[in-house]
Amino acid sequence: MKKPFGRLVALAGVVAAIVVATAAGATAHSNKASSIKSGGTLNVGWEQSFGFTDNMDPTGEYLGDAFGILDNLLVRTLVGYTHNADGPGNAIVADIATTVPKPTNGGLTYTFKIKQGVKFSPPVNRQVTSADFVTALEREANPKDGAQYAFYYKPIKGWDAYAAGKAKSISGIKTPDASTIVFTLTTPTGDFLKRLAMPAAGPMPVEVTKCFEGQPGKYTADLISTAGYMIKGIDEVDISSCANIKPAAGYDGQTILDVVRNPNYVKSTDPTRKNYVDEVKFMVNASNVDIYNKIESGQLDMATSSIPPAVLKKYATSSSKKQYFHQNSGDRTWYITMNLTQAPFDDIHVRRAMNYIVDKDALRQGWGGPTVGDIANHLVPDALFGGQLKSYNPYKTPGNHGSAALAMKAMKGSKYSTGNSGMCDAAACKNVLLVSDTRGVDPGMVATLQQDAKKIGITFKVRQINGAYPTIQTPSKNVPISERPGWGKDYADALTFFLPLFDGRTIIANGNTNYSLVGVTPAQCKTLKIGGNCTGVPSVDTQLDKCSVQIDPARTTCYENLDKYLMTNVVPWVPWMWSKVTRITSSNVTHYQFDQFATTPAYAMISVK
Amino acid sequence: MLLYLARRLLWTILVVLVVMFVTFLVFFKLPNGDPALRFAGKSPTTASLAEIHKRLHLDKPFYVEYGYFVKNFAVGDDQGWPGLGYSYGNYVSVRSEILERAPRTLFLVAGAATLWLIFGVAIGVLSAVKRRTWIDRVAMGFALFGISAPVFWLGLMSLFVVWKKLGLTGGSGYVPLSDGIGAWFSHMILPWTVLALLYIAIYARLTRNNLLETLGEDYIRTARAKGLSERTVIFKHGLRASLSPIATIFGLDIALLVGGAIITESVFNIQGLGWLAFNGAITQDLPSVLGVVICTATAVAVMNLVVDVVYAFLDPRVRYA
Repeated sequence: MKKPFGRLVALAGVVAAIVVATAAGATAHSNKASSIKSGGTLNVGWEQSFGFTDNMDPTGEYLGDAFGILDNLLVRTLVGYTHNADGPGNAIVADIATTVPKPTNGGLTYTFKIKQGVKFSPPVNRQVTSADFVTALEREANPKDGAQYAFYYKPIKGWDAYAAGKAKSISGIKTPDASTIVFTLTTPTGDFLKRLAMPAAGPMPVEVTKCFEGQPGKYTADLISTAGYMIKGIDEVDISSCANIKPAAGYDGQTILDVVRNPNYVKSTDPTRKNYVDEVKFMVNASNVDIYNKIESGQLDMATSSIPPAVLKKYATSSSKKQYFHQNSGDRTWYITMNLTQAPFDDIHVRRAMNYIVDKDALRQGWGGPTVGDIANHLVPDALFGGQLKSYNPYKTPGNHGSAALAMKAMKGSKYSTGNSGMCDAAACKNVLLVSDTRGVDPGMVATLQQDAKKIGITFKVRQINGAYPTIQTPSKNVPISERPGWGKDYADALTFFLPLFDGRTIIANGNTNYSLVGVTPAQCKTLKIGGNCTGVPSVDTQLDKCSVQIDPARTTCYENLDKYLMTNVVPWVPWMWSKVTRITSSNVTHYQFDQFATTPAYAMISVK
Repeated sequence: MLLYLARRLLWTILVVLVVMFVTFLVFFKLPNGDPALRFAGKSPTTASLAEIHKRLHLDKPFYVEYGYFVKNFAVGDDQGWPGLGYSYGNYVSVRSEILERAPRTLFLVAGAATLWLIFGVAIGVLSAVKRRTWIDRVAMGFALFGISAPVFWLGLMSLFVVWKKLGLTGGSGYVPLSDGIGAWFSHMILPWTVLALLYIAIYARLTRNNLLETLGEDYIRTARAKGLSERTVIFKHGLRASLSPIATIFGLDIALLVGGAIITESVFNIQGLGWLAFNGAITQDLPSVLGVVICTATAVAVMNLVVDVVYAFLDPRVRYA
């Protein structure tokens, strides 16, 4: 295993060195105001399938790439984003609301006024009212409509009662008049505005959505837009009765999504979207090689696709191609998860030693080197803390290559290290189950981990599974360690990492995302049939509750401290990379912009020749 | 004949049901995780999973789930008949996926089959008639190349040379007939040719061997002795008799390609039924795979029936009762 991997690393190293040496500074090429023009069609390739989680129905759709489409082109929300890169792209601004409201009543009440002139696209053709937001949120609350992130709205008073069918409306949402909507929460929720900026909270016309009640993934091809574009052919859909509604021609769910200008859109009501192009076509393509051939020839303008290594290298290194090469923060952490209930990772000394021993740089080289991402030194991407933890690196090693000396020092005191040798020499350290996936990068990652862990006495029994997530998401499988996980933000708030990944109360039998089982209790272990050591597993539930009610800047500070606490006192992961989003554009694209909220191209801000 | 057809039709239905059952069983027993997780978001809850289980009938035993599927298939679902359910991948109706993709595959297979039948048989006949001449050697050399060259390589090379360098065709991707016959043809000609090449080679060799064997039969000698022209001997008496095995394999090849032209569909970005099956298999999307399996099983059964009927035409001794 060692030798082939050595060659692989060497090869990856050479490739990465070439890429890095020549690609330094090849980052986002945008904001060339002089080259911006209106009109034309933006053609976007999409590899294999759209991969939407709910067929692009805003109520349930949870794919980041779909957020990019909905948020830029089809769905406006009360508050939204500027469709920019980095920090400014994560800032909340008013969209359909006249202003961004300050919460009142101790952070429990939010009152929004709706702008006049914001209309639904054809065939609805009417002003958006406060009731349309209620329609959307009631769909989100109704379990039969397939919502996939309804938990974000649970702080709204009466939400659970409505979801359980015990109330006819959500008592915490009031519409005193057609242009006012008031939200009352049960607990202060510092990121409530960001939750309202998600596509599911965008207004929906009940005259159409009533036809899709209890039908998840159906309000899609007939999605009624409020933004600058609408699905092609939606204006020809007959909404006079549910029976007459047929899917608009522009979206078939499988091969094409075609959006054209919304004639009802009033630009003066929208401070952020520029809507340069006349039409955006998203076309599924079976082959990424074909996609990039077409981008090079100008038949496509960009893609949501993996980039073949040769293409990546060409665009990152060629001076003539660099202008078409765009990189931005992906706000996603890739990490090795260690199960706090399973030996030898039920010992914090071992977990700390793992953080010192892993050669993060080698892992990254296996993915393509610095082009692919930055080394992660803690849990949540720096961008979500405004870069304030940039210098925080509790397990620093020279060149991020790992250090046996530091790891052995950290191991001392471990119950698995006899005589304080610094080596994990107990039987529990041998043949530890490591669950891996079957992606192209997995063999290299596994080899690196095996090589590194062996230096501190840990050996792995590797199990490669095609689609490893279901296994590591099942606590009763007792997976001690896995190199598979990655997690991206839902919106720019550290809660979207900490809540699903470290809240002990949310651990479930199937589909669990707290893979490390932080905060699991002996009672949960019994119920969920978790083997191993369930006593004294550290919990951060109290800190999570404390942070979630805060409002910035205290909120960010609270989460920064929680990140530090988890990194030093719990140590559930070895975070190793914060990945970047790379996009290659054709020569037709005269202006490219990145949407940091969705971590996708800001389709509303891109112009073509 | 009608009784025969009815009996075959019943067998076809039984075969499709058995194939569906086996596919269902394979996917059900695979350790592929809970399909409900795909619709429960990144942070599922026990309640949301239970709701989805109920919606997809995943809370029921295997045989009940299969029963629901067969019932929907027979009487239709909210998307019409036949009811094929919703993809576990994206919650798109499988019926609509099949309807969207079937014409692509059928056009691909029909075009390629026409090419390989015409050229394969023609080359085989030529090769047999001109046995041991340079024409025979060139034809069989071509056949060897066709069999040896991988479809993905041929596809990529043809795209590179014919589309990218020479600009003679429309390149990859599928253009519907409604966009104009020219554009449609321009995008189909390369996949047809590449897919047909392999089969041309096989059919040429088959035809050559069968024809040579037939031409050695006593009744051919008799025909020649009667003074019939060589053309009549070869085409009327020789070729017709040697076409029976070709008809068998032709029917089966067409049927199998309905769900099996995966590489051609991938290389040329046609995204037909083969692509749907492939994607469904790697993402363990049972409803999509079942949809394609039903299509392929039906195609195999129907083509078998067609072949049997064609036998009667090719061989006067065959009669069905």
